[in-house]
This record gives sequence, structure tokens and C-alpha cells, in this order.
Amino acid sequence: MTAPLLSIRDLHTSFYTESGVARAVDGVSFDIGAGETLGIVGESGCGKSVTALSILRLIQPPGRIETGSVIEFGGKNLVTLDDADIRDIRGNRISMIFQEPMSALNPVFTVGDQVAEVARVHAGMGRRDAWERAVEMLELTGMPDAEARARQYPHQLSGGMRQRVLIAMALMMKPALVIADEPTTALDVTIQAQILDLLLDLQKKIGTSILMITHDLGVIAETASRVIVMYAGEVVEQAEVDELFAKPHHPYTEGLMHSMPHIGHDQERLNVIPGTVPAPTEWPSGCRFRERCPYSWDLCESEHPPLYEIGSGHVSRCHLAIEPERRNNPHPPLVVQAGVAAA
Amino acid sequence: MIVAIVAAITFALIHIAPGDPFSAVMDNQNVNETVRQTLRAQYGLDRPLPEQFVRYVNSLAHGQLGWSFSHERPVLEVLGSALPNTLLLMGVALVGSFALGILIALIQVARRGSIIDYTLSAISLFFFSMPDFWLAILTLLAFAYWLPVFPVGGAVDPVMHESMGLGGRFLDRLWHLALPALTLMLLASAVVARYQRAALLDVLPADYIRTARLKGLTEREILRRHALRNALLPIISLVGLSFPALLTGAFFVEKIFAWPGMGYAVINAIGTRDYLLVVGGVIIGSIMVTLGSLLSDLLYAWADPRLRSH
Amino acid sequence: MPGQIQDSAATRAARPRESPLALGVRRILRRPSSRVAFFVLAVIVLVGLLAPLVAPYNPSAQPDIVALKDLPPSLAHPFGTDPYSRDVLSRVIYGARLSLMIGVLATIVSLTVGVAYGAISGYAGGFLDAVMMRVLDAFLSIPRLLLLIGVLVAWPGLSIGALVVFLGLTGWFGLSRIVRGQVLALKHAEFVTAAQALGASRRRILWRHLLPNLVSPIVVAATLGVAHVIVLEAGLSYLGIGVPPPLASWGNIIQDGADQPATLWWMSLFPGLFMVLTVMTLNVLGEALRDTYERR
Repeated sequence: MTAPLLSIRDLHTSFYTESGVARAVDGVSFDIGAGETLGIVGESGCGKSVTALSILRLIQPPGRIETGSVIEFGGKNLVTLDDADIRDIRGNRISMIFQEPMSALNPVFTVGDQVAEVARVHAGMGRRDAWERAVEMLELTGMPDAEARARQYPHQLSGGMRQRVLIAMALMMKPALVIADEPTTALDVTIQAQILDLLLDLQKKIGTSILMITHDLGVIAETASRVIVMYAGEVVEQAEVDELFAKPHHPYTEGLMHSMPHIGHDQERLNVIPGTVPAPTEWPSGCRFRERCPYSWDLCESEHPPLYEIGSGHVSRCHLAIEPERRNNPHPPLVVQAGVAAA
Repeated sequence: MIVAIVAAITFALIHIAPGDPFSAVMDNQNVNETVRQTLRAQYGLDRPLPEQFVRYVNSLAHGQLGWSFSHERPVLEVLGSALPNTLLLMGVALVGSFALGILIALIQVARRGSIIDYTLSAISLFFFSMPDFWLAILTLLAFAYWLPVFPVGGAVDPVMHESMGLGGRFLDRLWHLALPALTLMLLASAVVARYQRAALLDVLPADYIRTARLKGLTEREILRRHALRNALLPIISLVGLSFPALLTGAFFVEKIFAWPGMGYAVINAIGTRDYLLVVGGVIIGSIMVTLGSLLSDLLYAWADPRLRSH
Repeated sequence: MPGQIQDSAATRAARPRESPLALGVRRILRRPSSRVAFFVLAVIVLVGLLAPLVAPYNPSAQPDIVALKDLPPSLAHPFGTDPYSRDVLSRVIYGARLSLMIGVLATIVSLTVGVAYGAISGYAGGFLDAVMMRVLDAFLSIPRLLLLIGVLVAWPGLSIGALVVFLGLTGWFGLSRIVRGQVLALKHAEFVTAAQALGASRRRILWRHLLPNLVSPIVVAATLGVAHVIVLEAGLSYLGIGVPPPLASWGNIIQDGADQPATLWWMSLFPGLFMVLTVMTLNVLGEALRDTYERR
């Protein structure tokens, strides 16, 4: 097996706040291969965005990447790299696209300038060369009339166009990895499809890997080849995309799948997973999904489940791996029994 | 509209005062009664009040601000010849204070939380809390008397100036300008520094700053290029807002350094009770302030691309 | 976690509410800079209040017109003497009392006028509001010092009371804008409509609902206002149109020494230092208050 492009091992990122230490990312490990699209899915608060930010060392105080975390890329550990070297990587070999295209662009500079800036910083290009390259890139993202648009300001462009600008910015230096954090969440549904297609298209052209972070299973289904499910700061399931959709193992993944409305099915009410995500300052002992799980039993309280292997390339952090028959006896989750959440 | 109300206010000022604007002349028994009557008639002081107001506004519109008896010239002429000096002083101080203030703010934000940040904040607070005239007196004492580096006052050397060459004359002016401008500048930069620092800190958590970081820019580049450009916008309105303070500061500074500007004339007029001159100064002062904020608005519209394209 | 959702409005309402003023003061005193400022200010205020007890000499006393004239600082006269043979230290102490008093009184006038003007303008709305605002704008475009000079020169020989009134009458513009803004915002707030529906009179609404929301800007404006007035009064006294001699105010003392600033340097230095100190502490406290209230 070829060496992975990026390898995260035992990443811990915590935030030291007045109300306690929030372990937003609590022991996450995974690999990304060259040219593949890895999806991370989970609710807000599960740590997926923090993981992404940690890769590029964008965590600001009071947050901190704990020592012992390893993010291996190009033979070096990104966590311990010095400032000049990590800046060299940002925007150049690993880049990132965010959720809010409007606020991510500086309102007082033209979009062309902002895209060109990447080339000026990393390739040392002069203004005109960088500008030309920027316009080329914008054309590549399917921006109509790129030359004219480049001279405009962010507030003059629509949401979809701004996202194209950010994509152009991210791909200017043909990075090995692009991290896309909820790239389509703030866009209209019709535009979402276009942007996703664009990303995949560009991936094929440039050969970059994509780390797609989202809470939307539909996006995962369309873009990812492998998927990681995160919950409460941990990886709870990892599998190839088809396998995950066909045979979800972890009860949380199951819950996510069931809460998607299906065309063709008549449903009176949407299925929801009862309860809420626990606070990151107080992760519960044992399995963190325990109180919302319809299959939990005493082992789940006493022992924090490790990642069990349940198939080739398929792992799940659930004790059901060793006692699968319990899946036949679901019970109302503990939060429902306590009478606080509605079933 | 505003100017009209200002006119009304100044009119009220003149006429509310006990006695009339020409008390110094009028009540002087040595002045011939007929002269007094003529002056009264000429200025319409014997007409009913509303009519006086109309005549007043009319004369203002024509630039007639009355007669300064202490200078024996029309008020407009006195103030008009003094105004350029004040503008020079204010202009230099304005530009200088913004440059210095922005620089200080950048240093503070680049090293926020450090001892340099706190020291600079304390120093700004100190200068910010100072009365303008006190600083002027102190700088005068410090740099003109005790360490005689700069001249004690005036705009040019009274004796030598005429005989200097062009270059010499320029330097002479500069040398005389230095202390008053510096004093005014120090006070104003404290204000600018505080506001600019706050504006920069407001801008720093923005998303586009994160994007800039993502591109691999150094913190310093981010500060200077992305953050500053955005944080400068609120400072532009400070330009207009600082006009009143700069103007009143200039008044004191001019008096103390004997800089022949509008402030110097007005303050001396206080001593001689040349009331019309004082009122004239008030009117011109408010016009300047209004123009200043207009200038500020225009600058802002030009600088913010979000406003420009519409 | 079970039970977590239950915390809440019920428990919070059960705790007694502190007045916003007390809350603000308590919170800013947590900062070391505010504590220092508060302490220094308190000392200055005390010195001023207890002036007759603290000052070594009578500020107007001229025991020896010849021998005690224009003496530089010494043990007997730590701040020196002035051209009228009076002890400068005592004058500075009495000056503290006078300047602070003028500051406070003038600010009270400003606050009253400002709140009244802003509230009436905001509440009345419509044409009256528009006119009042225009007048306000006109006043705002005249620099405060100039306006004061204009007024005070017209009335030579004013009493201190009148000085205070004029100082106050020129300082309310900013506050009334803020007050008007608050009133406008609250006018359309739901709880006001609810109160009206319950039959509350206009005055009652104004009093019980509007005023508590105004406490924070008023307190901030008051603190910073006193600082401004102190500086202004000093400037006016320096120009000779402020506090009349032989009374001692900080500005007056500097004025007394203004003819020979270099030789009589102690007359410019000491009053000024005290002024700066007082204004600094007021600024620190005022801004700390502003920060706490804004954060809420």
C-alpha cells in the first residue's frame, strides 16, 4: 500500500476556557491517500472543523494542539513545525475552503487581487504575472467573464461566485490536499450541486486530495470515496462510502442515516436522534453516545469502546462489534427514559 | 440649514449680551454722540429685532462680519489673513498625528499584551488627558527655554527673516512651525492611536483575516495589509471628528507660541473685548468644523469600495 | 445529560437584581487599573473636600508681599509662591476643590438637559423631533470652547454659578443623541406596547421602563463629562474668562504665572500635573464603565 499523503495520529486539541477544558478533538487518527476524497461527517460540535483547523495549525489561544499529536505530511510532523515552515505549507501544499464565502473575503480588495496574492506569496510572482494566473484560475472554476469579475469587489458577486473565488484561491498553487469545511452549506441548493461538481472536476484535473467536512450526508454520498463519522471529539466509524451507506454499524451513523428523509417513503414525522451532544468540557465516561443509544448496556458505561474492526477498511467504535445480538433488542435511549428529551 | 441655525445662534449671542456690540465704543463718553448715532444707524441697531436678524444673515451671506475696532480693519480681513496660518498648523498636525497615531497603534497590536503595549497605552492616556495649553506651555519651557533648540514664538524670525535666501526662509518657517505643530500633534495622536488600536482589534477576529492566514502570510503582513486597510475606515470619520479638538487646541497653541493664526487673533480679542472679532471667529470656526466633517464623509465614501460602486 | 436542560430562567429570576450602576462599579473594580484610578481619584476628592484642613496656608493670604513673592519651591512652600505672594500648594489644594466642584455641578446640568432634550425629542417624534435634532446638529458644529468663549466674552464679570450653568449648557449634546436613540428603540419595543395595553400612563412608562436603560450611558457620560469640564474650565480660566480671581482654580494658577512661564515654572507645572492626574483617573474609570456596559 502506498504511503498516505497525510497521516493524523492521536490528535488532541483542547480549548482552555473559564468554564473548563474543552477537549474538542480527543484522540483522532486517520489517513488520507493521494488523490482520494475523504469525507468527515458529524453534527456541529463533534470536532470536525477543529480537526481541519489543527492540520494547518490555525488553532488560536485559548486553544492548543496537545503535545504527542502527530500530523505527518511530506515526512514532517506539522504539529511541531516552526512558523515559517507551516506558512510555507498553507495555501501552497495544503489549502482550505470555508463555509461563509462572504466573510472569508476581504471587502476592500478586489477578488482578483486576493486570488493573486497566493501566487505572490508562494511563487514570488510579480503583480502582473500573479494577476494573469489568478484570472486563469478563475476561468478554470467556471467563472463567467473572469477577467472583468476579477476586478470587482466581493460584495458585487453572488454567493456561488464568491465560493468559486475561494476555490480558485485554494487551488492556485495546485496543492496536494484541499480541506473543504462545509463549502456548500451557505449556498442555495441549486448552486451547491454546481460547486460540488466543480470541486470533483478540478480534483481530477489537478490530482489533489480532498478532505470534505460536512454534516450533510448527501454531500458525502456525492463526493467522498471514504467516510469518517465523528462524534464528541472522536472517530466513531470509518468505511468506504458504499459500505457505510449500505451497512452502517455505529448506532450514531444509523441514526444519521435514518434521519434523512427518503423520497418515496411516506413519513409522518422525521426521525431524530433524541438528546443532544454532551458538552466538550465534560465528556461522559464509557461510550459517549451511550445515553442516546437504543442498544446500550452496562458495558457501554464502564468501558470506553476502542475502534473495532468489522470489515475490510471498516471500523466502528461500538461494543456491538463484540455483542452483535444486542442489536435485536433496542430500548428507548436513556435520555428518553429520564424524561427530559422527547422520543 | 445648519449654517442658518448657527447664524441664529451667533445672532442671539451678540444681542443677548448686556449692552450692545459696540459697548466699548458706545459707552465711552469721549466719543461724540453723533458718531454713536451714526454707527447705530449704520448697523441698524435702532431697528426692531427681527429686521436686524434679516440684515445680519444678509450681511453674513455677503461675507460681512463686522468691524474689528482693535485692529481697525474689517473682521473678515483680520481673520482672513490669519486663517492660512491656522490652517497650516492644523494641517501639519492632522497629517502628523494620524501618521504617528496609526504607527503607534500598529506597534501596540503587533505586540498586544506585552509591556510595550501597556506602556504605549499609558502614554497615550497621559497625553489624551492633558489640557492642550498645558502641554504647549511645557514644551515651550522644555525646548525653547531650558534647552533652547526651538524659537520662543512667532512664525518667522522677526529680525533676520527678510534677509535670508529662499531656502533659509523656508527652514526658518519650518523651525518656527516645529514646536507648535509638535504640541498639537502629540495630543491628537494619542486620540488616533487609541481609536486605531480599538479598530484593529475589532477587525482581527474577522473571517477574512483567517483566510489571509490560510494563504501563508506572516502575522505582520496580515496586520499591515489586510487588517489595517479595513481598520482605517472607521478612522476616516475620526478626521472630521477631530476638527473641533484640533481647532480649539490650535487656539491655545497659537496663543502660547505667538503663532499668528486665527486663534491668536481671537484670544487677543478677548482681552480687548473686541467682541465682533470673537463672534467672527466662532462663525468661521463652525464653518471649518462643518467642512471638516463633510471632507471626512467624502473621504470615507471614496475609501470604502462598498460605497464607491453604487 | 439529564437535568442539564432544566437550569434556567426560573433559577436566574429568583436571584435579586442589582442596579446596573452597582453592577458596573463592582465589575470594573475587578480590574487593577480601575482600582488604582479609583483610589487616586478618591484621594484627590478627599483632599479637595478637606481643603481647609489639609492646606498649610490660606490660599488668599498674603502675609508678606515683598519677601514671599515669586519664590521657587522650598520646604516651607513645596510648590513655591506666586506673584501675589500666596502659597501655591494651598492654592492648588483649594483649586482641586473648586475645579472638581465646578466639574460635578456643570455635569449635573449637562446630564439633566441632555436627558430631558433627548427623551422629549425621541418620544415626541415627528416634526418636533426633526427640528430639535437640527438645532442639536447646529450646536454640535460649534466647537465647545468657541461657544463658551463667545458667551463668556459677552458677559464679563460672571459669577461662578453662571459659569457652571454655561459650562453645563454646552455639554449635553452627545448624551441627548444617545438618549434619543434609546428612547426611539424602546418606543417601539413590545413591552412598552404591553404596558400601554395595561393602561400605564406615558409618564409612568417613561419613568419605569426607559430610565433604567439609560443608566449606563448616563454614568459613562457623567464620568467622562466631569473630565472634560475640568479641562475646559482650566482653559477658560487660563484665558481669563473662567473662574474670577482671587479664587483659586487650577487654570487660574497657571494664568497667574503665564507672564513669566520660564521663571515661574512651578506655577504651570503643579496645577497641570494635578489636572492631568484627575482627568486620567476619570478617563480610566469612564472607559472601564463603558466597556463593561457594552459587553452586556
